[in-house]
Amino acid sequence: MSDQIDFILRQIPNLLVGFPNNRPGGLLLSVLLSAGTIAVGFLLATALGFAHHSRWAVLRFLAGRFVWLIRGIPLIVLLVLLFQLLGTGIIFGLELSAFWAAVVTLILYAGAYQGDIVRAGIAAVPAQLIDDARLLGASRVTVARTVTVPYALRVMRPALVTQAITIFKDSSVVVVLGVVDLTTTARIALGSDIQNAPFWVATYLTVGAMYWVVAYGLAKAVRPRRGPRLAPEVAIS
Amino acid sequence: MIDAISGLITGDVLLGAGVTIVVTLLTSVISFALGVFAALGRRSSSRARRLIAGGFVETFRNVPALILLIFFAFAIPNVFPVDLRRMIFFDNAFIDGLGAVTLLSIPYYALAAIVALSANTGAHLAEVIGSGIDTIPSQRIEAARSLGASRRTLYRSVIVPDAVRTSFPGITNRLVHNLKNTALVGFVAVPDLFQELQATITRTFQATRTLLLAAVLYLILAALLEFVLGRFEKSIRRGRPTDRLIDV
Repeated sequence: MSDQIDFILRQIPNLLVGFPNNRPGGLLLSVLLSAGTIAVGFLLATALGFAHHSRWAVLRFLAGRFVWLIRGIPLIVLLVLLFQLLGTGIIFGLELSAFWAAVVTLILYAGAYQGDIVRAGIAAVPAQLIDDARLLGASRVTVARTVTVPYALRVMRPALVTQAITIFKDSSVVVVLGVVDLTTTARIALGSDIQNAPFWVATYLTVGAMYWVVAYGLAKAVRPRRGPRLAPEVAIS
Repeated sequence: MIDAISGLITGDVLLGAGVTIVVTLLTSVISFALGVFAALGRRSSSRARRLIAGGFVETFRNVPALILLIFFAFAIPNVFPVDLRRMIFFDNAFIDGLGAVTLLSIPYYALAAIVALSANTGAHLAEVIGSGIDTIPSQRIEAARSLGASRRTLYRSVIVPDAVRTSFPGITNRLVHNLKNTALVGFVAVPDLFQELQATITRTFQATRTLLLAAVLYLILAALLEFVLGRFEKSIRRGRPTDRLIDV
């Protein structure tokens, strides 16, 4: 038992921030990777959401196809495929490292899933509200900035939080490209050494607990307030 | 073009597709059952049931599917000393029989993968179905009660069917996600579609072509599952306009 505790205690710094010569790694890299790609992905998602409600059929079509495409392919397949396409000089001679291929993939993945939420959020804005603002003389851009986006953001909040947690957990799949996130760090720490066999359960329990704390904590921390702050029927009248 | 692709689809790849489909079907059914029971358990009047169901949902929902897969397939057998491990997980009459039926070389990994994915998807489905239960108007339950329905009948013919009907779009979403999660089982040595396609790459060096094929095949499988579930949703909604639920 004590050797179990010894092993885990020795690995905890690595699991939290990565191996000494390769930081940031571990849980820290998992958090940075998902937070960064969710943030950039949200910009893509906003573009996709507005494209979906665009006046131009081409934009609507392209946005719809893109979301459908990314959402229909398993993340592990997307990661390997995009690393193959972007990492070996096939497209424009790009030779991204595994890490940057993973970043690009996660941005597209986060963008597509969040894009669907943004689309629904924009659809939830009462048309009358937009018409009223337009009648009062606001330009399309002003309406989008001061009416559509703030209203949609409030509607989308719970779904975006859930999606962010999902992306954080799904980011564990980057292990397939060898990006040293939490999952990969655990695999490296255990290695193929048969001597480490007894430590597998303890290590993966620790790793599972780390993912759990972040995911559960995030869900609890940003739990939606009781009752909608902005009831749609109130907003319309 | 056709020739180039047909060279990649070997018997092994077809078997892998079969594994993906079977694992998807089994995990879908098991996780659905788990989801219904966990959703009801979380709303039970018994504290013990609420705790067990809540613990199940919050544990398996907040840990990545990949970690669950590795834990059940690789970590758990490592708890036991070598001889005992072989006897329990890899070399006994049950496992041998399973291997003979499924043609899998290490059936335990497939079993572990099914348990891991079912628990993960089941926990997510419990939340989806639970939100469906919460939308059932209390008058409807009281009406069934006052007509003399027993608890059992109440659950079997009112609560569960209503909840499943209203939450079906969410259930479909999760089950399609579950299909895509099955692509992770190759990680624990289950020879599924993606695993076999990766083996094809090592054999043919046609990485780009094979990976594009993988993407297309998963898109087809996802579309197929969505179609089947869409049909099913239609059949359970037949003759029951959803708005009737609301103006009870």
